[in-house]
Amino acid sequence: MNLDDELKSALRRHEPPPDFTARVLARVSAGPARTAPLAGLSSTLTRKSTRWVAAIAATLLLAAGALEYRQYEGERAKSQVLLAMRITASKLNKAQKKVQMLSHRSIS
Amino acid sequence: MPERPVSTPAGMDFTGLVRQHQAMVFSIAWHVLRDRAVAEELAQDVFLSLHQHLATLESPGHALFWLRRVTSNRALDVLRRRQRHPMVSLENAPEPVALSPAGDPLLGTALRRLVGALPEKARAIVVLRYQEDLDPAEIAKILDIPVGTVKSQLQRALALLREKMSRTLGEIGL
Amino acid sequence: MRLAGYLVALGLLAAPAPAQELKWNYDKLAAKASDTVDVSLSGSLLRLATKFLSDDDKDEAKVKKLVGGLKGIYVKNFEFKKAGDYTPADLESFRAPLRGGGWERIVGVHSTEEGETVEVYINNAAKGIGGLAIIATEPKEVTLVNIVGPIDLDSLSELGGHFGIPEVEVEKKK
Repeated sequence: MNLDDELKSALRRHEPPPDFTARVLARVSAGPARTAPLAGLSSTLTRKSTRWVAAIAATLLLAAGALEYRQYEGERAKSQVLLAMRITASKLNKAQKKVQMLSHRSIS
Repeated sequence: MPERPVSTPAGMDFTGLVRQHQAMVFSIAWHVLRDRAVAEELAQDVFLSLHQHLATLESPGHALFWLRRVTSNRALDVLRRRQRHPMVSLENAPEPVALSPAGDPLLGTALRRLVGALPEKARAIVVLRYQEDLDPAEIAKILDIPVGTVKSQLQRALALLREKMSRTLGEIGL
Repeated sequence: MRLAGYLVALGLLAAPAPAQELKWNYDKLAAKASDTVDVSLSGSLLRLATKFLSDDDKDEAKVKKLVGGLKGIYVKNFEFKKAGDYTPADLESFRAPLRGGGWERIVGVHSTEEGETVEVYINNAAKGIGGLAIIATEPKEVTLVNIVGPIDLDSLSELGGHFGIPEVEVEKKK
């Protein structure tokens, strides 16, 4: 066994999950990290809380979580739109540039 | 107000840099931290920082150096802060079990585990040397330590790894 | 017909996809590609994205106006390790549906030196353009764009100079 070769093989690069880039772009668009708005609520409930108070708290947390997720999903979708427009516009511009080059050549 | 995507004067664009270097950043973090989820989180944070510092980068080479440096140092920071799982020194690390001499995947897993048991700095040095194929001078710049330290730590780490592996596999040629 | 429309309105019967939405099969290219960028947005997700585009940011406001009436945005970018990893035959299935169904090629440019091709197709609807398709190839890259819905090509090209897109130096005809 050649240790150098085995180490290179064992420590070769691996890709992160397929949506890694999209998630990075979503976080960039979202700005500084935000904490869940109602994260502190559950910690204030004591053991003596009635069941329905706990249920309401859980529902509110779920709603807050859903809101957080919608925010995340929306920001992510927005980054994808911007990425798509960027790619599309760059290809259109490439075509436009070549057409102009060709028309300038035919004129001159 | 959401930030606009930024391009540097060198014509690099952020999304392109993410796509180009995401495997490198994630893998450095993963091989040093041995925790995929934490490595992913760290890798995302590194790219967020890259976005903030994009205007200061002068060239694609500079961006590559910056990413390696920030990723390595942040991974080492995480290791140092980690209290929940005390590090096992390589000398005390259990022998890799159920090794098949012909089974490369198992050998790779065993090696990664042993590398993950190296002391923090030695671990980062081995990862940068073998994942990124960097020489000691380049590693020294990235980790901001003397070249001599890199060389001696690398030598010692390899000797330890060889010893651990050889106990199970028999003679190792190098 | 009335019953079908009623059922569609109730969501009980899926409305047929508009002709402008191309049923491209990317599997062959995806299998050969070393890296893929995939954007697929339609329906509620596209509407959600539009809501998150800022009216205060000049560039995002432009994109918001551009995509406001769209029904779908499908962009796939494939990168390959080396030239020749994909063949012209692999692209035939993408060109075939564009030879009919209201599609018209408005631009087709090829650079022999760089080995690059860009083809732009539009689908004419009752009021202006109802869809856009682009097939762009380079030796190691293929980009496929399908935009469903009314798109303003002039506004789209005006995005040049923003978001890191190189600006085309041209005098626009008014």
